[in-house]
Amino acid sequence: MAVLANSAPHQHSQANSAEHDHEAHLREEHLMLDPRPRGEMNAMVMESMLVTSWKFWVVAVALAAVVAYCLGYYWYRMIAEGLGIAGVNRPVYWGIFLVNTVFWIGISHAGTFVSALLRVFKAEFRRPFTRAAELMTTFGLVQAGLSIFMHMGRIWLAYWLFPYPNERGLWPNFHSPLSWDFLAINTYLLSSTMYLFLPLIPDLAMARDRSTGWRKVLYRTLALGFRGTEGEWTHLRFAMNLFAFAILPVMFSVHTIVSWDFAAAMRPGWSSTIFGPYFVVGALQSGLSAVAMVIIVVRATMKNMKYFIRPEHLDAIGKLMLIISMAWAYFFFNDYLVQWYNGDKWTDILLKFHEEGPIGWMWYAMLILNVALPWLTLWNKNIRRNPTILFIIGFLINVAMWFERYIIIPTSLSINRFPFTYQFYKPGVEIPLSIGTVALFVLLYMLASRIIPLVPVWEVQEGQMAHSLRKFGKESIVTVSDLE
Amino acid sequence: MAKHNIPEVKANWEATEGMWGMSIDMDVCTGCQACVAACAMENNISFVGEEDAGYGRSLHWMRIEHTWQGEYPEVTPTSFEPVLCQQCGNAPCEPVCPVFASVHSKSEDLNLQVYNRCVGTRYCANNCPYVARVFNMRDYDRPDPLSNQLNPDVTVRRRGIMEKCTFCIQRIHKGQDQAKSEGRDVLDGEVVPACAQACPADAIVFGRIDDPESKVSLLAKSGRGIQLFEELGTLPRVTYLKEEKTYGRTG
Amino acid sequence: MTEQNKNMLLALFPDLDPAAAAVGKLRELGISDEHVNVISGIPITEAMMGRKPHPSHVPMLSLLGALGGLALGIFLAFGAANLYPLDVGGQPVVPGPPSVVVIFEMTMLGMLLNTFLGVFLDSRFPSYTPKEYVVEISDGKIALLIECEPALEQGISAAMTQIGAESVKHAEAKTL
Repeated sequence: MAVLANSAPHQHSQANSAEHDHEAHLREEHLMLDPRPRGEMNAMVMESMLVTSWKFWVVAVALAAVVAYCLGYYWYRMIAEGLGIAGVNRPVYWGIFLVNTVFWIGISHAGTFVSALLRVFKAEFRRPFTRAAELMTTFGLVQAGLSIFMHMGRIWLAYWLFPYPNERGLWPNFHSPLSWDFLAINTYLLSSTMYLFLPLIPDLAMARDRSTGWRKVLYRTLALGFRGTEGEWTHLRFAMNLFAFAILPVMFSVHTIVSWDFAAAMRPGWSSTIFGPYFVVGALQSGLSAVAMVIIVVRATMKNMKYFIRPEHLDAIGKLMLIISMAWAYFFFNDYLVQWYNGDKWTDILLKFHEEGPIGWMWYAMLILNVALPWLTLWNKNIRRNPTILFIIGFLINVAMWFERYIIIPTSLSINRFPFTYQFYKPGVEIPLSIGTVALFVLLYMLASRIIPLVPVWEVQEGQMAHSLRKFGKESIVTVSDLE
Repeated sequence: MAKHNIPEVKANWEATEGMWGMSIDMDVCTGCQACVAACAMENNISFVGEEDAGYGRSLHWMRIEHTWQGEYPEVTPTSFEPVLCQQCGNAPCEPVCPVFASVHSKSEDLNLQVYNRCVGTRYCANNCPYVARVFNMRDYDRPDPLSNQLNPDVTVRRRGIMEKCTFCIQRIHKGQDQAKSEGRDVLDGEVVPACAQACPADAIVFGRIDDPESKVSLLAKSGRGIQLFEELGTLPRVTYLKEEKTYGRTG
Repeated sequence: MTEQNKNMLLALFPDLDPAAAAVGKLRELGISDEHVNVISGIPITEAMMGRKPHPSHVPMLSLLGALGGLALGIFLAFGAANLYPLDVGGQPVVPGPPSVVVIFEMTMLGMLLNTFLGVFLDSRFPSYTPKEYVVEISDGKIALLIECEPALEQGISAAMTQIGAESVKHAEAKTL
């Protein structure tokens, strides 16, 4: 049975029109059952990368202006004048910068979830958007890194966190969760960039074959001379499989270590043993919702993407969003119940401040948007498959996850064991700086979409080769071959 | 032959547990804030201005806490409680600094804040249960002739650096250098930090708590001694004296 | 720069089955597996083509990388701490649980870095010298690069075409 992408679709001799319709419907629904010749798919991906409208450039220039002003100018001022123009005080020594750091690291877990976890579980629907998600990881980590640098008092000495032999014989302090952060985030950044690049090589080779001019030079250089020989694929396949399995413990460890920045501290509300898994699940929640947002935008704004990204993918992501939201609620409730129950005086004051203080609305918004909203909507197939609604739900979940980190960091820091020192947190330049990081993320992504083929065509073709319709009794059922 | 037990090289000093300590008598503290002012003068603490001070950014190493309980008109005030860095034996601020800017000194058994190593991550301040640490949010002006007030024995800190009470370590070193040059040990009561020196009620007593006969040791062992948040296991070096020994907090 | 390499034939196949059959046919015709290379736009396992698994150093390099990372982690956790011992928070100079974290992260970093570099090493990346290649490969065709005696060329060409090759021509080494 010929199963390559450029073979004719599955022929069947029966003239049963209902079955015909069923199979046609399956083909329309599933990208994997709707193969087109590889050359055609290559052309589609190249076109989506090359064809740019003036609207794109208007948005890009506007974003660049926002980045230059909000990020560039205000950060320069903050370095020159000190953190006084931000909102930190005693006792709220960590504010929105840390919230953003945790938020962006959370978003960056999206890519690894899709490209590694779904690959390990052989979830075939991941194929068209693994690279789009993996790009989010790289650019999200860039924003997280910027946010960490922003919060430092003497950022020009940041290199002291790097272990290097020096005249004074000083090394970083590995007792400190911040040092573990440094190691873990850098490991994760390097690993996910390598994991982005490896499956990209064959697509860069394809782009090289189909480009001229400066693009040809760029892709020829980046494709490293890849041809697709048996040996090259062998090495690449082993490496990609290893990365998929190995980057999962790295992913889990990164956000766990970030959570230990808080859990290792002896503060009411922070020294909770559940923070590790709680944060990891929170990262998956915000990351997955961000993936949904990004691929909906990619699908709506880039040419030919409607062939690759179909309602079935939104459906699958929506289901995952629902499940992860349940997991998040489980971990939140674990944390909350135990704190509420034991009646420690300071934790009681903290919980009251969360719920009834001036920021109480944020606490309720977090719960409504993180739990009630997905649980009330995402069980419905039509809602999941509607791009606009799913985008809004994803956006609101991300807002709620940002609120969650805001409650954990600046709001909890207002409360300690000395009521005399309690102070409220009022953000200063953190606001334009945060806007700047969001603008930079979108800008980087937009520029990358012009240079990097967003859909891994070879993976899509591989998947289409593996999928077929097989008759079980009277029904045609989607069958997947395990080609690895 | 000089008879003292201060080793030649400071780095070789080995301290037994708890060398320098303090006791603060809350029963006689009047809340006059002379200690706060004296500390600021001695240690070159910057003036942050009214707005920043109102937002909780004042750089005072010591604060006098005064709380009250109840609703008006049945209000009961509590004692004045001077809170400063407790120089914990098991300081929670120390392990969390990623660059070793907050370390424990073997020789004086104090918690050291190394200004020139601090990169300003502020984790130490978040982890201090006594909220004893402050951060330089900006570079603060000290226009002439105010700059004449600076103490040459103490560093002036720039923006981006954490600071906290040092038990006037410059005075400790001066006292030890003086004693060594005279060939004797440091006498009890010879080293007096700025806050103890300024207190009109003599509420603050400073000395060697590894010497069981020193004034501070005797006060600490008197029936009135409590330690703040003892249950956290931080091993603070400051003992608070209060009749009707109330556990943990004032009032 | 193009060169006619008289000994290299490039047979282009549209599909997996004829390509796999061709490999067997070549063996019949006396061309051993080492003289045949498969070039494709998607990963086709050696087993699908009836060939022996291609040897790869990447697994060993990954393991070596893990060991190297382990060594680095042990140095950072134990060595660096002892080089300049500082007393912090009453914790021992080498803290237990944090050392686990450091060692784990460095081991993973070492393994993944070495895996990545292993791909480069084994595949001789980056390489910009002229190579035998046709752009149809990235369009989904499967190519067999056959090294053979000039005398056998005709027979092999005919056999490939008969099995289902779209085209059989001399392989030209050109810059990609």
